[in-house]
Amino acid sequence: MAPYTNIPLSPAELSYLHTSLAQDPPIRPDGRSPTQFRPLVAETDILPSANGSARICFADGTEAVVGVKAEVERTGRKGGLVRGKEDGEVEGEERGEDGWLDVSIEIPGTRDDDALPVFLAAMLTEALLADGELKGRLVIGRVWHWRLFVDILLLSQPLSYPLPLLSLTTHLALLSTRLPALISQKDEDPLFNDDWEASTHLFPRQPTTNEPETKPPITLLVMTVGTNILFDPSSDEIAVADAIVAISATEDSKDGGLKMVALRTVDPPSRLTSAGVPTQANTTAGGGLSAEETLKLREKDAGATVWRPPRGGVSRTVLGRMIKKVVEKGGVGEEVLEGLRGVKS
Amino acid sequence: MPLDSSTYALAHLRVDGRRWKELRRIHGQMSTQAAADGSSYFEMGNTKIICTVLGPRQPTKSGGRDQSREAIIEVEIGVAGFSGMDRKKRSRNDKRTQEMQYTISSAFASTVFTSQYPHSTITIVLHVLSQDGALLAACINAATLALIDAGVPMQDYIAACTTGSTASYASNDEDADPLLDLNGMEELELPFLTMGTSGGEDKVNVLVMETRIQMPRLEAMVSVGLDGCKQVRNILDGIVREHGKKLLSSR
Amino acid sequence: MPREADPSNNEREFVLSALRENVRLDGRAFDQFRDVDLAFGEEYGAADVRIGKTRVMVKISAEVVTPYADRKFDGIFTISTELSPIASPAFEVGRQDQTEILLSRLLEKTIRRSGALDTESLCIIAGQKCFHIRADVHVLDYDGNIADASCLALVAALMHFRRPDVEVHGEDVTVFGLREREPIKLQMQHQPFCITTSYFDGGEVMLHDASLLEEQCREGEVIISINRFGEVCQISKYGGPPIDGLSILTCTNMALEKAKMLDKVVKAKLEEDEKKRDKGGLMAELRADNEREQG
Repeated sequence: MAPYTNIPLSPAELSYLHTSLAQDPPIRPDGRSPTQFRPLVAETDILPSANGSARICFADGTEAVVGVKAEVERTGRKGGLVRGKEDGEVEGEERGEDGWLDVSIEIPGTRDDDALPVFLAAMLTEALLADGELKGRLVIGRVWHWRLFVDILLLSQPLSYPLPLLSLTTHLALLSTRLPALISQKDEDPLFNDDWEASTHLFPRQPTTNEPETKPPITLLVMTVGTNILFDPSSDEIAVADAIVAISATEDSKDGGLKMVALRTVDPPSRLTSAGVPTQANTTAGGGLSAEETLKLREKDAGATVWRPPRGGVSRTVLGRMIKKVVEKGGVGEEVLEGLRGVKS
Repeated sequence: MPLDSSTYALAHLRVDGRRWKELRRIHGQMSTQAAADGSSYFEMGNTKIICTVLGPRQPTKSGGRDQSREAIIEVEIGVAGFSGMDRKKRSRNDKRTQEMQYTISSAFASTVFTSQYPHSTITIVLHVLSQDGALLAACINAATLALIDAGVPMQDYIAACTTGSTASYASNDEDADPLLDLNGMEELELPFLTMGTSGGEDKVNVLVMETRIQMPRLEAMVSVGLDGCKQVRNILDGIVREHGKKLLSSR
Repeated sequence: MPREADPSNNEREFVLSALRENVRLDGRAFDQFRDVDLAFGEEYGAADVRIGKTRVMVKISAEVVTPYADRKFDGIFTISTELSPIASPAFEVGRQDQTEILLSRLLEKTIRRSGALDTESLCIIAGQKCFHIRADVHVLDYDGNIADASCLALVAALMHFRRPDVEVHGEDVTVFGLREREPIKLQMQHQPFCITTSYFDGGEVMLHDASLLEEQCREGEVIISINRFGEVCQISKYGGPPIDGLSILTCTNMALEKAKMLDKVVKAKLEEDEKKRDKGGLMAELRADNEREQG
């Protein structure tokens, strides 16, 4: 019995997958190229009661719906004092707070405080808040602000790691989010225009082309096998990943290119060691071995005919290449954004 | 915001311009999700539900083999935070939700041929994306479609709708008209009941009423409800046939 | 998870075939209740109901709290239901099971949502102080029909309960003890009663007040809450095999009669209790030559 029991694949299957993915060029089970995404179905503005909404259905059947709701809230002032010039803050500068964005994820079969939804929510929040632009846009005046609730629902069982699905759906939902137009002056009690036609997009659009000027970040899942970098891995591929990294990228307002705003490594499932594995073979904790011993074992593993879960981390050069593939001009990030642009409500 | 029902007496038109015996727009789709065994999308006016059915399958919960001679029907209802007017997160142990889950599960337990699948579980997952009245009714209809899509053998459709009465309990008796298929605003203001029927001949599977009403009015509401359920049943039947045709022609 | 032992096939068959011959195991008529016994405790607001072997105890208590911010003019009324192993080994402590949730929802709908208790009368100072009336429902013995018994006990306890009198001077509130001033009855707008109808054979046989064994054999139930004026407060038929729309209406008619019967029981017992307590007013009670207990 292989030590990575929560994957329904035999050691032979794992070995086959690993060798075919480690080839140059890699051969993926579904015949995609390394940077190719699976087809998806997407629609936006599907819910009348939400400020913005989107639904994406991946080819493997996983489906997510995101609803964005905005509520007006009074800005809390510390000690009842109106923050002003004495804080050294420049009048008219708009600064939001992190707490104004509330991301919650629901995944069927898990509780709300399970590790997976909490971790995913933290990852998405982090990416959204990274450049500080979004929260700045939530400011109405000095007294009032918008509070944004992003509710993410995974409608199907999580067949593969759901992060890219949730991130892309959130991206579309935020793009379609509209806030009612303000009629009142800045610091008065807010009064809004009832006319939904007059509402403004949270991510403002160019009046002529109706194209958004800025876009919310997207988070992509990238995995490596050997020196190969693969995008949008399926659950089978993830099973033999050496390393999985979630990279969030957003458009750089200066040069129009992409920049990375957040990066997190995700533990591949092969690392979730099950009970009954001898310490030496335990890949998670390293089995109390020194770095040298680990490297030695790694070489030994490489020669073995049966695939073993990876040991140690991912090299910096590979990490660098991954980031570059996402953010470079004409890279995968731009390709995905371009693909999502075509989504109509 | 209280509903202004005073104008009803003048023109016999409701707040959304319907007559008393009109249903809202009903729209349904089947097989919306490839990952589930059966799935459906159901709209009743602005109430929108996505339903997925998993199973019949081996019980997922550990704890030995299930010794029952019939399939167990599990129902999970998730009410999305953005589904109402204000964002409100309803916890999963909310008693109202649990009651609805129980209602749906026991309604289908008597319609599905559960004895065909001993030691197994059928899980019905309902996601409420938007709510505007008739929540329970829409959930039941969505579950019916998804179960059919999953190919679970059933005796019949369960079709559900709500009926209300124009006057709250205090006012005079004679002028009260029964209303079919209340929207969210009407539900807040008027007494109503949810009814689910099967068999097409006045057989009531589910009947839930939570508001106070005088007994004589009940009769009118029940008979209008039975009629409404028949209409809903025909619509569901239409959706299923449409879907079947599409499936056949795509072969 | 402990479970109530299911009756054996023979037992079930016996019950059902007897019912088909119009006989109940305990010899009652189909619409007959077991003996309903209602007793009040020493304190105000404690009611103990027995229907056959089923026994439910309800205790009402009141305290002064701040009202909810969104309901400034209303007092607070909560019902908490507990099914503990004392009632039946099938119930576990600290774990909500289906029966408990359904029972608490049922009481909630019957008493709270139908506005049986006038919560506005519980307000002392709008937005600042109000009474919080709490009802604790304890099922002590479980032999079927806990819905009807709990509801009856709850209504009786609410009618029996007296809250302390208060006096408001501007912002100051004085709450008087039970000895200082005559406590005040709660304002009830109506008294709804739950009546459960169990059905067998697709509605061919309808029973009132089913015992535990009958409940285990039944196909389904219709629970109707109705007051003596014929106002239906709640109907729940949670799934189960379908029955005729018409038979539900018959159920309501029968429920009305039963509700009138239960209403009479409560009224009579309350009167009895009142007479027992009335010793000719507070002055008579406080007199030195009060009648001493013998012995």
